[in-house]
Amino acid sequence: MATEFSRGQKSPLSNLTPGTDLYVGVKIEGPGTWDISCFGLDEADKLSDDSYFVFFNQPKSPEESIQLLGAQSGDTESFRLTLDKVPDKIRKLSICAASDDATAGQISSGWFRIVVGGEEVMKFTFSGADFSGERAIIIGDVYMKSVWRVAAVGQGFNGGLADLIRSYGGEVADEEPAPAAPPANTGFAPPPGGPAPAPAPAPGFAPPPGGPAPAPQPAPQFGAPPGGPAPAPPPQAPAAPAAAAPTGAPGGTIDLSKAPAQGYGDTPTMYQPTPPGAMNSLAQYKEKPTTGRYTQQSSKMIKVTLGPEVLTRKGSMVAYQGNIEFDHKGSGGLKKMLENKMTGQGLSMMICRGEGEVFLAEDSTDLHIVELNGRTININANNVLCMDATLAVETKRMESAGLPGGGFFHIEVSGQGTIVVMTHGTPMTIPVQGPTSTDVNATVAWSAGMRVSVSSQVRVQRNLYAGQSAETGCLDFMGMGEAFVVVQPYEV
Amino acid sequence: MEGFLTQQYQPTPIGDRMSNHGSKMAKVIMQPGVDIMAKAGSMVAYKGLIDFNPNPPAMGNLIKSWATGEGVQLMQATGQGELYLADYGADVVVMQLANEALSVNGPNILAFENTLQWGIERVKDVKMAFSGMGMFNVVLRGQGWVALTSRGTPAVLDTREAPTFVDTDALVAYTEGLQITPRRTAKFSSLIPGRGSGEAFQLGFQGQGFVVVQPAEDASSKFSVRG
Repeated sequence: MATEFSRGQKSPLSNLTPGTDLYVGVKIEGPGTWDISCFGLDEADKLSDDSYFVFFNQPKSPEESIQLLGAQSGDTESFRLTLDKVPDKIRKLSICAASDDATAGQISSGWFRIVVGGEEVMKFTFSGADFSGERAIIIGDVYMKSVWRVAAVGQGFNGGLADLIRSYGGEVADEEPAPAAPPANTGFAPPPGGPAPAPAPAPGFAPPPGGPAPAPQPAPQFGAPPGGPAPAPPPQAPAAPAAAAPTGAPGGTIDLSKAPAQGYGDTPTMYQPTPPGAMNSLAQYKEKPTTGRYTQQSSKMIKVTLGPEVLTRKGSMVAYQGNIEFDHKGSGGLKKMLENKMTGQGLSMMICRGEGEVFLAEDSTDLHIVELNGRTININANNVLCMDATLAVETKRMESAGLPGGGFFHIEVSGQGTIVVMTHGTPMTIPVQGPTSTDVNATVAWSAGMRVSVSSQVRVQRNLYAGQSAETGCLDFMGMGEAFVVVQPYEV
Repeated sequence: MEGFLTQQYQPTPIGDRMSNHGSKMAKVIMQPGVDIMAKAGSMVAYKGLIDFNPNPPAMGNLIKSWATGEGVQLMQATGQGELYLADYGADVVVMQLANEALSVNGPNILAFENTLQWGIERVKDVKMAFSGMGMFNVVLRGQGWVALTSRGTPAVLDTREAPTFVDTDALVAYTEGLQITPRRTAKFSSLIPGRGSGEAFQLGFQGQGFVVVQPAEDASSKFSVRG
């Protein structure tokens, strides 16, 4: 005695039959030819193994738990499912049909039935009225959720077989790779019997033109009420952080999330909707994988992986993960302190020590990781963000006849290690092959071994004004070979 | 000239309800019926018929914002067309909340759909040294679009991996439901002038969610003596 299933209905298999050796028959009547196939999907609802895509070209799975039997006894296509032999990694057997020359709405009648021991135990009948213009349909599922269960799905799927395969994480040969198949688990419920909403307006989750439509949600949630006139509202996304997992959260019911503002139309090209959910929107800003001791998180932020200590500019820590301490770093004696007072070039540093990762940034300046590899570099102390504590640092003063009582202070850094230089804006590195002059205030760093002098050709009498530093004029460089000087498009 | 001005920088195609035009401008598709709350004065251009009303905030919010210093001067934009928003060259971060709740530092709010519930709430678990002080944030809840500002490209740190400690001056937003613990890293030696590490206080976040930080530390204080 067959149990009639309606669309969306599901049941443990044991309620229907104690048997596990099933005959599954599918009939589709209507114009066009329909290719009926069975996907063996893993826990993530993905076709992780191509050999579990059973169709006319591959009539059985490796251990023959899924076999294609062909047309017989009134069925357009039939399968034998031996559930006892299905390997543990396969959690769901999804029976689908796809056609190149017909749409699901044209199906005059069809069924999905399970026969055990010559007796029909389950039957789900459908017709084109359940669908619209889809070229693929997911008819029924036999799936494992603590026990084997059966679901009558009857869902249309935009796009054809290739898109269906892609949505199951499969690849289609001889075509360009799928554009990031949307994750499974989306609450995608197409409007049952609705009048042909071709680009299904699942809010915020409309499949990109030509792209794969969202995969069906796991069977336990199939719930489109039969014959209901309106699209079943997709289930709400789980509350915040859970949805932060990269699964596409369902769109909800607000249709305006991508309002098409008519009359102001630039035509939508290249439009790739982002699935809702804060974590999806923010994916581009996520923490970058660690690539070494110093990782460029963005052009304006550096991630330092601790172990060895790092010296950083005071107050430049924006965040950290791990157990990290911050300590004042003395800058070496009274004389230096005096110099700092005089010049404003004091390196006000702190030590970060501990285990973990520190994120450093300062005033949204651009940051550059410089590996010294034993070389020496001169840097304007204002442009140092952080450096390995093992580097040797010396404060230098450049004397100039034109600047009484003053000079240009900078630091000389040398050794094995890394220093992070900050610049306001994109800097420029000028190779020094002849006389080169830079504005003192824009000079960031220069290579060692050059003859440098301060000239005050530009006689702006800045030091007449109270509070102005004695820095005025140009730095003149003379160098050969690989000498360089770095300037920033910003005068401090 | 023609290529430079009219082609290179022409409006980006219509996409989501809110999207980025460049990194520092937000583009909002306006539709009648669903209004946008935006930071007062953040409009740089619009196309179509859009009205701006200085928002008469709900009385409760008004009082709260006076009390907390977390006052967000908002305006309400209604109409149809395209609206462009920017905030003094700050980077703009656009996101779509799906029944999530986000706690945002008030000055970092650029715009949001008024389908979202919003209010000023005291950050729980954070008790300051003196009673009566506290940290307040604007909490946005529900389903809809939000545009935030960040000085420089922000970073989103996952708090599921490890407890994440954030400089309060660099904190932009975090998901609701995180466990928050203040942490002091100031040492006794920092009482000596010039001997501090410059990092005295951080907030620790733990749980299912994430924290958004900006690569700059606002001088404006996040703490208020009233409360």
